[in-house]
Amino acid sequence: MGLLKWFSSSRPAAVHKLPSGSFTVDRHGHVMTGTVAADCPAAVLDGIAKEVLSVFREARAVQMPLAEVSLDFAGLKISARDMQGGAIIFLLPKNPLATAEAKT
Amino acid sequence: MEAKHKILVLDDDADWLDMCRDFLAQLPSQPEIRTAATGVRALSMLDATPFRILICDLKMPRMDGLQVLSIVRRRFPELRTVVLTGLQDDQFRSRAYALGVDLFWLKPDMQQNSKLFLDCIESLLGQVDAGGFRDAQPKNLLDVIQMECLAGNSSVLRINSGAHIGKIWFQHGELTDAAADGADGEAAFRRILKWKSGTFESLPPEPERARTMTKSLESMLAELEETVEKAVNPGSVEELEQQKFIGQLAEIAVAGAEFIVTVPAKKEIAAKAWGTKNTEQLAAWTRMVEKSAQRLGETLSAGPLTHVAGHNLERHLLLLPQNGKTFVVGWPGESASTELFEQSKKLTLSWDS
Repeated sequence: MGLLKWFSSSRPAAVHKLPSGSFTVDRHGHVMTGTVAADCPAAVLDGIAKEVLSVFREARAVQMPLAEVSLDFAGLKISARDMQGGAIIFLLPKNPLATAEAKT
Repeated sequence: MEAKHKILVLDDDADWLDMCRDFLAQLPSQPEIRTAATGVRALSMLDATPFRILICDLKMPRMDGLQVLSIVRRRFPELRTVVLTGLQDDQFRSRAYALGVDLFWLKPDMQQNSKLFLDCIESLLGQVDAGGFRDAQPKNLLDVIQMECLAGNSSVLRINSGAHIGKIWFQHGELTDAAADGADGEAAFRRILKWKSGTFESLPPEPERARTMTKSLESMLAELEETVEKAVNPGSVEELEQQKFIGQLAEIAVAGAEFIVTVPAKKEIAAKAWGTKNTEQLAAWTRMVEKSAQRLGETLSAGPLTHVAGHNLERHLLLLPQNGKTFVVGWPGESASTELFEQSKKLTLSWDS
């Protein structure tokens, strides 16, 4: 019984909500405007902006400047368009349930 | 009816290709003229159809003429090659001849001496094309060796076949030694006999050369004939690799991709590329993007990275992680971006196999 109690008392894994929406950043990585829900921490958006801007910057450094870049993860697509050193970034979660509903 | 010879003209200048097609149509033997604007396209055409002559420009983007010629020399040793370039540089001339080209012409000279140029091309078309070893006239290598032996000659035969160079030493009509591709003695001799075509020259004897082959001429020739019969095909590992590489090039050409770079996860292993000279920089950028993606994936719990896509006006880029390395595939800017992921995946699967 003790073992079963241990199982039943364990907390369910936390459900992680992926950010959704878009935001713009300047060339220094400061978030300017956005439609991402307010419950998404600013630090997360800053982190995304930093990585995306560095992808654009390094591409320029190897003589292959990119106008757009998208990083496709299993659960999320991050799409970004270069805006004169800054960027507009789109966060598009992939929700299989939503897709299934749409199909039915 | 005898089939017409085919000539392939490779040049990145479309107007020049049109001009060449019209110009070569004046050849008396009326060969079939085909054109290619890129090295990859030319290689895939050569792989698909037997051509008699390749007329090749030197200065071309991505894959230049010398690169094409070095592949052609290994892959199609029987193909006659003519360089037709605007580059007036002796270095290029000597490098081209080192790659075994039959003719080297400058474009202005060709225009000024058009009759002579046509005569040269016609002469190349007219030469017997049954493989064999080219000297004054085509010969079977075995015949050459037998002649040296029967005549009791002391000499050294230097044989070139594509990228291979071999030597056979004769002393008073006896085979005394051979060397080819790092092998010596009988092993080298057998290897040389597998070469189907090439050129040879007779060099002065080297009586001081140590004798490594001791078998009698008769037994050696009997073995030779057996070897030649067996050599009808099964290619060496190197040949198979080369064939595979050409097949992969053809796949890229057919798919329409501009380049492929494979970037191993470990920095110590060099990236390999085809179609771009920007390999190291692209590899560094790819590794950087992967690290960024890894950090983002972990921070956001977004799952594993499936691919990265980027584009500008000139080209599309796709990064595909696969089996411990990442493939970077470049596509022309006008390609339909919706199909590129699947097309890139197909290409990388064949490159990875």
